[in-house]
Amino acid sequence: MVRTRIFFEKHGIYVFLFLIVLFSSLVSPAFLRPQNIVNILNPAAALGMVAIGQTFVILTGGGGLDLSVASVMATVAVIAAAHTGGQDSQLLPAAAICLFFGILIGLINGLLITKLRVPPIMATLGMMIILLGGRFLYTKGIAEGSYPPILRFLGTGFVGPIPTSVLSLAIMVVIATVVLKKTVFGRQVYATGANINTAILSGYNTDLILVMIYMISGLMASIAGLYIAGWIGVADNWVGQGYEVDSIAAVVMGGTSFEGGRGGVLGTMAGVLILVTIYNLVLLLHLPVQTQYMVKGAVIIIAASFYVRRGTR
Amino acid sequence: MKRLIVTLIIVGVCAGLTGILTVGEAGEVDWARSTLWNPYPQQMVETSKYKKAPPYTMAYCNASLSNAWAVVGVQTIKYVVHQNKDKIKDFLFTDAMDKPDKQIADMEDLMTKKVDFIVIRAITEAALDPIVTRAHAQGIPVVCFSRKVKSDNFVSFVAASNYTMGRAMAIWLAQYLKGKGNIVVLAGVAGAGSAEERWIGIQEALSLYPGIKVLQKEYTQYSISKGKTVMQAMIQSFGKKIDGVLSVGGSEALGAIEALQEAGMKVPITGEPFNGFMKRVQQHGFPALAVDFSPAMAGECVSLGLQVLQGISVPHYYQGKRFLIATHDTPDIKSDIAWKDATFPDRPDTFVFGYGLPPVEWLK
Repeated sequence: MVRTRIFFEKHGIYVFLFLIVLFSSLVSPAFLRPQNIVNILNPAAALGMVAIGQTFVILTGGGGLDLSVASVMATVAVIAAAHTGGQDSQLLPAAAICLFFGILIGLINGLLITKLRVPPIMATLGMMIILLGGRFLYTKGIAEGSYPPILRFLGTGFVGPIPTSVLSLAIMVVIATVVLKKTVFGRQVYATGANINTAILSGYNTDLILVMIYMISGLMASIAGLYIAGWIGVADNWVGQGYEVDSIAAVVMGGTSFEGGRGGVLGTMAGVLILVTIYNLVLLLHLPVQTQYMVKGAVIIIAASFYVRRGTR
Repeated sequence: MKRLIVTLIIVGVCAGLTGILTVGEAGEVDWARSTLWNPYPQQMVETSKYKKAPPYTMAYCNASLSNAWAVVGVQTIKYVVHQNKDKIKDFLFTDAMDKPDKQIADMEDLMTKKVDFIVIRAITEAALDPIVTRAHAQGIPVVCFSRKVKSDNFVSFVAASNYTMGRAMAIWLAQYLKGKGNIVVLAGVAGAGSAEERWIGIQEALSLYPGIKVLQKEYTQYSISKGKTVMQAMIQSFGKKIDGVLSVGGSEALGAIEALQEAGMKVPITGEPFNGFMKRVQQHGFPALAVDFSPAMAGECVSLGLQVLQGISVPHYYQGKRFLIATHDTPDIKSDIAWKDATFPDRPDTFVFGYGLPPVEWLK
């Protein structure tokens, strides 16, 4: 009994994911079709990338979260379209600009939070709005340009039977897991989240750690922006809209505590898969929009309750 | 000190970014075509009490910039203001980011500044009604654009009928399919007047075609990515059973075409003249209808306002001019403009066609 309880406390979110997938495949014959799985996974990959960065941020505790990620994604998408003009030859310099941009925004967020002591929710909310205004200033409201074939390949192509975006996400998950679990930096992240005062007394430069965390979040949001742009294929000011909330939901459902110091990227990926599965299922079941919202909300609460049980015992 | 400098830099950057885009046709409002769809006697509003000498201060109290159509609307207003700079000395712009309480505060602010004329795109009919009524009572002429308030306490309401739009889309699709087939509906934003009114129009028209079956209707938030996601799921559910796609908006029609193209399906589709949608229809040879709900109506609000301030009577309900753009004519829906003439290959995908919009100048 105790073993069972411990198992569920540790792996409940994965059991929940399995049950959701099993239920979906039973109630909708279309769910397990290969093309439907691809349809789910392509946009899920971008959400997964953002959620990796969000996991790092939330792990540090202290109310840490990054609301600017969706705005970074959209801004990167319009920069990439404008700078590549649909030409593969321009992708590398444009991608470099985009990644630098994401890191820069993360740096500013980190400095606001550590040096000016602006609460993370306010700093990143403010940044989200500034980026929105800046994007309209840059595009004059209409995003120009188009995406090169390589970027479309990243968003919609395949390497063998595996979608390129999923393969990319898998590589990023491995890297992020190694960084968090096997490096000094990873241990510092968990230590900062668990108890920032203890981390300071242990000689950690927690301000530097927090700044780096927000830079990682900005970097991951910019990478996700490029992938989602490649998936949609249209330069738009609103690419990634809603990903800030979805990424936070995925992280928390996946067992990373808002209090910090507990959780990880694998749980977050389970949270991402639960979200995209339920978003797809309500469409396949042709549920009325009102019911769709209620089902989505209920699933998020139930999934999060698995984490709460784990965290309180 | 360091903290103060950093704060000042951030405030400076924010202030710079809020000074967005100032652009700005004059004068004459041609409402001949707009009267075509008014089934009732044209109700004119006597405006001599608002008459005053220029220059004027005018304001646009916007609901939000949450989609390309809204952005083009703002650009059009600014363009027309710019064209009338001899008459309009100041132009104030507020954006409520879809928050009714913010839009009420914006209206109060504009009234305190004693502007001569306000154009408002109200977030909701009910929430904005009291403040618009107060402005009306204070003698400030208010023109509602695209969305009106609950009462009739405004000088004029400039829009194009969403019911007509929905009917035109449904009639074209049903007639193109020769009255028989399965369709799916991409329905905009749940609860939004534009989406729900178009859906009512669609249902009215489809009742005349019992052979047309709606397989599924989904709200798609006027979003390209949501349009693609939903269309992909519909293709998985129904596959080749889908004979036509009725999209009430241009953004989701663009997303849907991406999904249809990836699935190797070519079925008739409706939408708005959203340039990316227009380009892909032309490029891939989809049969399509685009019904104009032109953001250029925003500019007509300015022209209408100038007439009000000159004491010239204006229509209480002003139906914006509207064009039907079709790749194929049907017995009751004939294209007003050739598809290629409403498609701009060198313009961005999110550019929205609108009569009266100068395709080059408006972006300056």
